[in-house]
Amino acid sequence: MKRLILPLLICLFPAFAAQAGEAELQQRIEQLSSELDKLRQELQEMNSRTQALADQQEETMASATRNTSATAAAPVSIWGYGEINYNRPTHDSSQTKMDLRRAVLGIGYDFDESTRLSAEFEFEHAVASAEDEGEVEVEQFYIDHSLTTDMNFKAGLFLIPSGLLNLSHEPVYYYGVERNFVETAIIPSTWREGGVGLYGSTSHGIAWDVGVTTGFNLGSWDPASTEGQESPLGSIHQELMKANARDLSTYLALDYRGIPGWVAGASIFTGKAGQGDPAVSLAADARVTLWEAHTRWTPGRFDLTALYARGTISDTAALNLTFAGNPSPIPSEFWGGYLQAAYKFPLGAGRSVSPFVRHERYNTAASYKGLPTGLGVATLPTERVWTYGFNYNLNPHLVFKADYQHFSADGDRNRFDLGMGLDF
Amino acid sequence: MNIEQRDTAKSRRHAPGPGAARREGFRAVIRSRRWYRAVPPSGGVAEQDHRGLCSVATTAPDSRRAVRPSAWLRAVIAPVLLTLAAFQSACVSSGGGTPANLQPGQVVASAPPLSPVAALGKKIFFDPSLSASGLQSCATCHDPDHAHAGADGLAVPLGGPGMDVPGFRNAPTLNYLSFNTPFFFDAEDTPTGGFNLDGRAASFMAQARRPFVAPHEMANGTPANVVTRLRSTSYVSEFMQVFGSDIFDNGDSAFDRAVFALQQYEQEAPEFRPFDSKYDWFLAGKVRLTDQEMHGLALFNDPQKGNCAACHSSARLPDGTPPLFTDFTYDNLGVPRNPDIPANADPDYFDLGLCGPDRTDLAGRSGLCGAFRVPTLRNVAVTAPYFHNGRFNTLREVVSFYVRRDTNPEEWYPNAGADKFNDLPPQYRANVNTTEAPYNRLPGAAPALDSDEIDDVVAFLNTLTDGYRP
Repeated sequence: MKRLILPLLICLFPAFAAQAGEAELQQRIEQLSSELDKLRQELQEMNSRTQALADQQEETMASATRNTSATAAAPVSIWGYGEINYNRPTHDSSQTKMDLRRAVLGIGYDFDESTRLSAEFEFEHAVASAEDEGEVEVEQFYIDHSLTTDMNFKAGLFLIPSGLLNLSHEPVYYYGVERNFVETAIIPSTWREGGVGLYGSTSHGIAWDVGVTTGFNLGSWDPASTEGQESPLGSIHQELMKANARDLSTYLALDYRGIPGWVAGASIFTGKAGQGDPAVSLAADARVTLWEAHTRWTPGRFDLTALYARGTISDTAALNLTFAGNPSPIPSEFWGGYLQAAYKFPLGAGRSVSPFVRHERYNTAASYKGLPTGLGVATLPTERVWTYGFNYNLNPHLVFKADYQHFSADGDRNRFDLGMGLDF
Repeated sequence: MNIEQRDTAKSRRHAPGPGAARREGFRAVIRSRRWYRAVPPSGGVAEQDHRGLCSVATTAPDSRRAVRPSAWLRAVIAPVLLTLAAFQSACVSSGGGTPANLQPGQVVASAPPLSPVAALGKKIFFDPSLSASGLQSCATCHDPDHAHAGADGLAVPLGGPGMDVPGFRNAPTLNYLSFNTPFFFDAEDTPTGGFNLDGRAASFMAQARRPFVAPHEMANGTPANVVTRLRSTSYVSEFMQVFGSDIFDNGDSAFDRAVFALQQYEQEAPEFRPFDSKYDWFLAGKVRLTDQEMHGLALFNDPQKGNCAACHSSARLPDGTPPLFTDFTYDNLGVPRNPDIPANADPDYFDLGLCGPDRTDLAGRSGLCGAFRVPTLRNVAVTAPYFHNGRFNTLREVVSFYVRRDTNPEEWYPNAGADKFNDLPPQYRANVNTTEAPYNRLPGAAPALDSDEIDDVVAFLNTLTDGYRP
């Protein structure tokens, strides 16, 4: 605009064109005036368009903010773990196996800040079908609701707080390729039942957990197979698969965590197992009780653990009499215990290697009731297992393991193992 | 299987019942032969009881469904089937509860009165006037005082118009057959179920037809002749009352109704499944067995000794029904040829069980030749002689045969044992079960049971006779 004014003013200075220049001048002023109006209009339109764009952008941002804040209030979380194991018996290499032992997917859903669903789905042995040995199961499916800052309520299918491995059964949390025998044969990890529970912690560092759940089903005991000898409770636990729930069980677990680096605790699980089943009417009042005590101490780089578990089944005499001659009567006592020591060498960047040694003893049939002498099956010898090996962590959630296991009662089981485990 | 390899076990979940895993050896032998799946014998009609209930297990067309149980039953064939059959039988029979919930003696005591059809069936069962000789009824060969098995002590019964025509097979007990199912091959191709020693009849009703007409039995020749005799019985008016006054106007319908009535009687009457042997009282915790009987039970169950429970299950069914002492499958024992059967005088005659001569639908399955149905051992002490050909008269001989067949063949077969399994043609002798204990030993080896142990097992078998009172 200014650029036009200046030449205009310069054009006005020549004197001899004064008169004829006046009319021309008038015309030019009018022309300029209309152009000015036009420019003003254009500017107005541009301004309003800019404003519209700005409004639009603001709205988009506002709605985006609304959406993200809604997602943040109800997240779905996904986690999982898995392990692949290689076992090579030293006395019979034809039995060497490599197995995708388990692949587990977990899904969590927060209803709100205080209520959460935890679900875990497990696939074992890679292929599950009528002809294959794999299995698919729901390992956990329960809601957790916080009642107060230090007390929660849970309901559904959840893990029984017994021992150390059952609750922390991911492969990165235990030493050795295979889970230890005491916590698989005696405490039937991964052991879950359905029911309700309350848990929490006190200001003195005591963590407690108490509940009522489904229990064991004695009617599932098969005296003709050796399954009961491998794991007595493992052969009769129900895991909420159409569980007989006439006789429920209760549990109580206590852990002292008041001193950092040290945990000591114990738990008991007890309930009747007859379930009103006419097939085991002779043992209608049989009661299964499993109690255990454990401690874990991690001074410096050491990781030291001790655990002892003992189970009893009462009232089996009359029923065992009818099982005379079968290889697996119902034991009245079974127990196991282990000592484990590990030392962690950190290698930087999250890597570490932890050599460990574990000695465990267990007996899945320490005594039988009801079997007349000369007719009965001999009680089982106590198995003693030494495991030596190491865990190599590439990062805290990925571990490669190797170990050697020596069995004193059944040397055919000696084996060399390799494994990979992870969780996310 | 190492326990750490799994968090759970399939077999446990599927209510295994004891002994489910035991028969792998022999079944593996049968499985090794590649056969197409057979279809069940055709020709059955849909048979429902008069209340229209519980028809599944007795219908031949429906047995096609039964032939194809879903895959998860594979590990538990017999016990699950028996449970189904038990429910079926419980449904048609007593209103007093299933055998699982009843104490010994209560099955008989609490049984409701027979339905009109079954009452008629009872009359027919005991009526000799329905035979050509006028002397033979069902009860002649299925004597109620001998657990509805033969009482004449002969290997094969006599029949025909003059009661002098010998039969071909030992008359089996009818007791506890209400837990049986129509014949089928399970998911592992194991033959299971079926009435008659070769399983060719799909139901009691189908089995009851033949004796009326067979020339060596009641010898009526045709169903029409049976109907003619029916018209002259003392209970003919009751028959017409139950089945309609026009029942005799429709050709062989009356014959169909007569065998149906027999079936109802065999299913409803508690005397066909009393469950009140000494062993039943012992299972209920009411009596103790003697030391010898307990020892016999232990040897019966022990897979390394008698291993009898592998086929003759001594454990309760999953639903609590007392043990039936059979899994209703088939086995080929190579029982020696019985010269007391006149038909065996012909050296070319062989009774091959599943593959013939009475049964013809499985003639092409040569691996089954020589296999006969595993009978119940309940009341075995009173159902001599034993095996399909009545070869042995005492239980001691039977048990000895099981454990000494292979270690001492000279005790059982001609030519000092050289002609082993002589009741089979040479090409089928390889079918005989030689892989399952106790008949899996070699000549000269120690038998699975010694002489005292055989006596103990026999003592135990004697506890299986119904009618025990403590």
